[in-house]
Amino acid sequence: MNALPHPVLNVVGVSKSFGAVEVLSDISFQVGKGETVCVLGPSGSGKSTLLRCINWLEKPDAGHVYLNGEPVGVTSAGVVMNDRRLSQIRTRIGMVFQHFALWPHLTVLQNLIEAPLQVQRRPRAEIHEEALALLAKVGLHDKRDAFPARLSGGQKQRVGIARALAMRPDLLLFDEPTSALDPELVGEVLVVMRDLAHEGMTMVIVTHEMTFAREAATRVLFLDRGRMVETGTPDQFFSRPATERARQFLQRYAAEAVTAQR
Amino acid sequence: MTPGDISAFAQGAVVTVALSVAGILIGLPVGLGLALIRWARVPVIGRLVALYVSILRATPLVTLLLLLFFALPNVGVPIDPYSAAILALSMNTSAFNCEIWRAALLAFPKDQLEAAMSVGMSAGLRFRRIVLPQIARASLPALVNEMSLLIKVTPVLAVVGVVDITRAAVRIGAETYEPLPPFLVAVALYAPIIYGLVSLQRFIERRQAAAEAA
Amino acid sequence: MIHDFGIVWDQRGLLMSGLANTALLSVIAAVVSLLLGSALTPAMMSRRRAVAGAARAFVDAMRCIPFLLFAYIVYYGLPSLGINFDNWSAGLAALMLYNTAYMAEILRGAWAAMPREPIEAGTAFGFSGVRLFRRIVLPGLVLSAGPVVGNQLIQIIKDSAFLTIIALPELTHAASSIQSRYYVPFAAFITAVALYWGLCLVVEGGVNVLRRLADARR
Repeated sequence: MNALPHPVLNVVGVSKSFGAVEVLSDISFQVGKGETVCVLGPSGSGKSTLLRCINWLEKPDAGHVYLNGEPVGVTSAGVVMNDRRLSQIRTRIGMVFQHFALWPHLTVLQNLIEAPLQVQRRPRAEIHEEALALLAKVGLHDKRDAFPARLSGGQKQRVGIARALAMRPDLLLFDEPTSALDPELVGEVLVVMRDLAHEGMTMVIVTHEMTFAREAATRVLFLDRGRMVETGTPDQFFSRPATERARQFLQRYAAEAVTAQR
Repeated sequence: MTPGDISAFAQGAVVTVALSVAGILIGLPVGLGLALIRWARVPVIGRLVALYVSILRATPLVTLLLLLFFALPNVGVPIDPYSAAILALSMNTSAFNCEIWRAALLAFPKDQLEAAMSVGMSAGLRFRRIVLPQIARASLPALVNEMSLLIKVTPVLAVVGVVDITRAAVRIGAETYEPLPPFLVAVALYAPIIYGLVSLQRFIERRQAAAEAA
Repeated sequence: MIHDFGIVWDQRGLLMSGLANTALLSVIAAVVSLLLGSALTPAMMSRRRAVAGAARAFVDAMRCIPFLLFAYIVYYGLPSLGINFDNWSAGLAALMLYNTAYMAEILRGAWAAMPREPIEAGTAFGFSGVRLFRRIVLPGLVLSAGPVVGNQLIQIIKDSAFLTIIALPELTHAASSIQSRYYVPFAAFITAVALYWGLCLVVEGGVNVLRRLADARR
C-alpha cells in the first residue's frame, strides 16, 4: 500500500491484548481526506477494538495513532496524555455507537447542542442553527424536542450521527451502526451514511453490511483474529479476494444473504 | 392543652424539621462524595469508606449519638446536643445515601460515558452534564425513602437533651400525668411529614415508570 | 485509653448479656412479626374492600409513626387506658407490632412481583388451596423475600436499641450504664458499635447465602 502524503488518520503498528488474548496485532493503515474505509471481518476479529483504539476509548498496548499528523493519546515525547489534552483531540473525532448511546435526559436537539456548547464553547446561536440544519439533513427536524426514549432505533441512530456531525469532526468513526436495528430500519441509516460518503466526509466504518461496503466504500480493510489480512478497493476485495480466509468469509455472507432473502 | 403546651409543640416541630433538613442537606452530598470515592476505587481510602459505610449501617442512631455526645468531650472536643444530633444524623444518613448513589453509579451504562468521551468532554464535564443528571433521577425514589427513614429516627435525639416534638410530648405528659394525649399529638405531627415523603416517593416512582412505558 | 478498654473488658459480662438480650429481642420480634405479617398479607390483598382497607390503614399508620414514639405510647400511654406492661413486654410488643406492618408489606411486594406462570402450572398439575401455597408459592416467596426480610432483621436490631429509653437492659443500655458508672464513654460505646456491627455482619452473611440460593434458582 502506498503511503498517502497527508493522511487524516494514520494508524501505525497498533496492538492490544485483553489479558492473555491478543485482540489486535500490529495493525497499520492510513485514511486520506474524503475516504470511506469499511472495516470488515467475522465477529471477534477485533474490528470494534481497532475503532476504539483510534480515539483512545481503548488504550493500545503498542503502536501510534495520528490525526492530521498529530499524535493521539501519547505525546511526541512518549508521555500518555492527560484527560484534558485527550478530550481536545477527541472533539475532532466523531463517533457513532452501536447502541446509539444518546443521552436520555436530554432532548434530541439538546443531545446535538450539548458538546459544541459545553466542550467547544462555540456561540450558542451558531450551534443552534447548525444543529437544526443537521436534524433536517437526517430527516428528523420534527423530532427536535422529543426525548430519545420516544424514537425508533433508526431515528435514534440518525440522531447519533447528527450529534457526531455537530462537532464538525475531521474524522467520523462508526461502530456497527446498524447492528442493533430491526432489519426494516437499517435502510434509513445507510442512506444518511451514503450521503455523507458522497459529500466527502472522512469515515471509518465497522460494519456487516456487505452491500453498503461494496457500493459506498473507497477502500476495505479485512480483519481476522486481530490481524489485517487484506486491504484493497471494494471491487478487488469482493470480486477477487486475495486470501483464502477472505474467500471463506465472503462465501458465508453470500449464503446468509440468500437464506435471508427467502 | 394549654397555650404553653401548644407553643412547646410548635417549637419542637421546628427543631425536628430543622435538624432533619440539616441532616438531609449534609448527608446527600457527603453520601455522593463517598460513593464517588468507592466508584473510582481510590486505593486505601476506598476501602476505608467501605468500612465506614458497613459499620455505620449497622450502628443504631441512639448508640452513635451517645458515642458522639459523651466521647467527643472526653477527647477534648466539646459538643452541644444540637451539633451532636446533626453530626449523628448526617453520619448515619450519609452511609445509606452512599449505597444508594453507588448502586446508581454501578448501574450507569458504560456507553453513555464513552459517548461523552468521544465528543471530548473532560472528566468534570462528563460527571456534571451526563452522569449526575441521570444518577440523580435513578436514585431519587430511594433518596426520598431514606429521608422518611431519617425523620423516623429523629425522636431519639431527645436522649441527649434536644427539645424536639418527642421531648415536648414527654415533658407535657410528665407534667399532666396524662401521657397518652401529648403522644397522640406528636403522632399527628410526625405522620403527615412522613406520609408526605412516602407519597412523594410513590409519585416519583409511578411517574418514572409511566415515562419508561411510553 | 487502654485502661478504659480494660474497664470495659472487666464489665464484659454486662455487655454480653446486653448483646444476648438484643439478639433475643430481635429474633423473637422478627419471627413473630413475620408470622403475623404473613397473616396480614392475604388481608391486604383481600377482595373485600373493608378488609383490605383496614389492613392497608394499619400498615400505612405504622410506616408513618417513628418507632420510638410507638414504644413510648405502648409503655407510657397504654397504662392510662388500664393496660399495664413491664418494660420487657412493652418493648417486645412494640417491636413485634411495629414490624408486623413492615413484614406484611415486604411479603405483599414479593407476592405481587412473583411470576404468574409457575403458579398457573401448579394449578394445571392439580395443586390447589393450602397445598398449592405450601409447595409452589411459599418456596418462591421465601427465596425472593428472604434477603429483604434479612435487611428488616437488621432494622429490628437497630430499632431495639431505642428500647434503652424504657430501661430495657439491651446492648446500648449496657454500654450506657458502664459509661455512666466508670466514665469511659468512648471505650464503652465503641465496643457496643463493634458488637452491633458483628451482629449485623452475621445477618448479612445469612442474607448472602439466601441470595445465592435464590440466584441459582432464577
